[in-house]
Amino acid sequence: MNSTQAIDHHNKHSVKAQRIVLFVFLIAVMISMSYVISGQLFKFGVMAFSAFVTPEGPDAVTEAGKLMQSMTVVYNGLAVVLTIVLTIFVVKKFLALGQEHRMPFIKRMVLYLALTIGVVVVLFPFFWMLCTAFKPSGQELVISKTNPFDIVPSEPTLDNFRRVLKVDAASKSMAAVDAIEQKKNFGTYFLNSLLVATTAAFLVTFFAAMGAYVFSKKQLPYKQQIFMLLLATMMIPGMMFMVPQFFMVCKMGLFGTKWAMFLPHLASVFGIFMLKQFMDTIPDSLIEAAQIDGASEWQVFTVVIVPLALPIILTLFLLTFLFHWSNFLWQLIVTNFENPLSITLPVGLALFRGQYTSELGLIMSASCFSIVPIAVLFLFAQRYFIEGMTQGAVKE
Amino acid sequence: MAITSSKDTAISFSFLSPFLLFFGVFLIFPIFYSFYLSFFGSPTDYSLANLDFVGLSNYFRIATDMQFWWSLGVTALYGLISIPLGISAALALALLLDNKLFGKSFFRSAFFLPNVLDMLVVGVIWTLIYAPKFGALAQITTWLFSEDNFFNTTGLLGSPMTALLAVVIAMVLKGAGFGMVLFLAALQNIPEAVYEAADIDGATEWQKFKHITVPLLRPIITFMVITGVIGALNAFTEIYAMTSGGPQVVIGGETVGSTSVAGYYLFKQFDAGNYGYAAAISYMLLIITLGITWLQQRFMNRDNGQEVKK
Repeated sequence: MNSTQAIDHHNKHSVKAQRIVLFVFLIAVMISMSYVISGQLFKFGVMAFSAFVTPEGPDAVTEAGKLMQSMTVVYNGLAVVLTIVLTIFVVKKFLALGQEHRMPFIKRMVLYLALTIGVVVVLFPFFWMLCTAFKPSGQELVISKTNPFDIVPSEPTLDNFRRVLKVDAASKSMAAVDAIEQKKNFGTYFLNSLLVATTAAFLVTFFAAMGAYVFSKKQLPYKQQIFMLLLATMMIPGMMFMVPQFFMVCKMGLFGTKWAMFLPHLASVFGIFMLKQFMDTIPDSLIEAAQIDGASEWQVFTVVIVPLALPIILTLFLLTFLFHWSNFLWQLIVTNFENPLSITLPVGLALFRGQYTSELGLIMSASCFSIVPIAVLFLFAQRYFIEGMTQGAVKE
Repeated sequence: MAITSSKDTAISFSFLSPFLLFFGVFLIFPIFYSFYLSFFGSPTDYSLANLDFVGLSNYFRIATDMQFWWSLGVTALYGLISIPLGISAALALALLLDNKLFGKSFFRSAFFLPNVLDMLVVGVIWTLIYAPKFGALAQITTWLFSEDNFFNTTGLLGSPMTALLAVVIAMVLKGAGFGMVLFLAALQNIPEAVYEAADIDGATEWQKFKHITVPLLRPIITFMVITGVIGALNAFTEIYAMTSGGPQVVIGGETVGSTSVAGYYLFKQFDAGNYGYAAAISYMLLIITLGITWLQQRFMNRDNGQEVKK
């Protein structure tokens, strides 16, 4: 054996060894991440279950804690099983690969780990919010000394939710609680937000659909000029309208009403633009065919245009709903705080935070009323959200 | 024919009228109304009646208002930090996701989710994460180091040096998924053949990224810069939720808020009942926005011109 061959042979071995070391390191990282993340998620499930099934009472916290204790095996076990299955799967796959495919496989592992870390960083605040909302008052600060990654409470309670809904006050002494004070809770705020956002979304979508139909399919003198004017107003920053719109709403006598919360935002230029883009793709022949069949103008709109444009109409509905659900600044300035029953969720939360600065559990459970419904909605309609929100940018 | 056409116009108009009504009343009229209001003073009793006509004095006041110019500076800084950070985060995520991956749509949705959540609530949660003593960050650093660390004693939002950066980090993490989806769509439109051709020419990964990927992503980057500028000028809720414009610093004998962006300063003036002055400030902001848009258009046209020449 000559020397170059020996070096070659040696290099091959050391590269092989390096790969193995790298792989083992990555597997170790993967195992710990998988165990911690899945463990926390399973524990959260068990925790929420225990909190909900434990009846209200003075010992509720300890009761729920005991229940969780008895199910430790379940959530830890699930996490262990999941991690083992994942590890076996990955190791088997790695060993089955030929030497030349091993480095790409390691790269893909790094990719997955990086993405998982990204998801954890981005979503951690919301998970922390959910966990803190279940912590008993005064114990929000307590973290596990043995495992700082363990943020799911071991003794959960629904007290925070009861307090922000004022259910606890009702059960204690109904007579002592003022009726308005009793209704001043996040259930009311939630319904107000729901009402405002739904009404606004419905009207905006309806007006925008009719308008977009004209801009896309109908004749109108100065149509192009009007459309350019609409687009030009999109350049104006929204803050600019705060002062004049506030004056107008007040002069109309609408200050403090729910009308004031959405009336100035009913003309959505973005909506017209989005719907027109889509309606442009509907062939004119369909409209002509309907007209030959004797359809009136209104029928053409409701029977031909709206059903065909339904996905994009639904998208606009969801986006408008979202806008009004989070339209904090405007709702803040038109809310009349002497009439607390008209408060919406974001305004309610801002007010609430001012009162209970250091009660983390309360603030977090109040936050859930805004976050959780939208997150669930997103889960079911994410396609509409993602495509709708990014549409303005990707148009060629 | 003439009769049908005027009938058509009438029908078109009736379809458009609800929209036009609200558009005219609540979007066109306020532009002029705001200008009119900017010549009036501030009522002492928060009432909207009895505003005194003060002529141009609101505009003279802006010229000498240190707080206003400071807030513009903070806005510029906010944009200068958040736009590059936001673009890099979005691009990094998109490059990671631009591979054949199992669970790709899960990652895409997970990164996008914070975008749809209420800004105020996200701001409140992050405030509590940053909070000294009881915040998540303080607890983690206390466990890692000692109780006597910056995150536990002052907190990121407590120091004028880091408060703005802390707000930006929270907002970048909230918004990264949006740009990611845009970049991802654009990356998937780049034909594989372009990269293969570069491979044949012996290009390194970095060269491919710099000379192929980035130029093809230019339109998205431009779009994100524009929305970033608008976002900085409109920034309000995140500041309201996280810092209330503070912490205060004294510069040249004037106490100014280290995170008091223009939008927040405008709100403060409005909240204090200085309606005429707030209207004048909105006009200044409008002029600045139009100026930036004009510059942007000029640069974009120049770029397009170059492409045409090629």
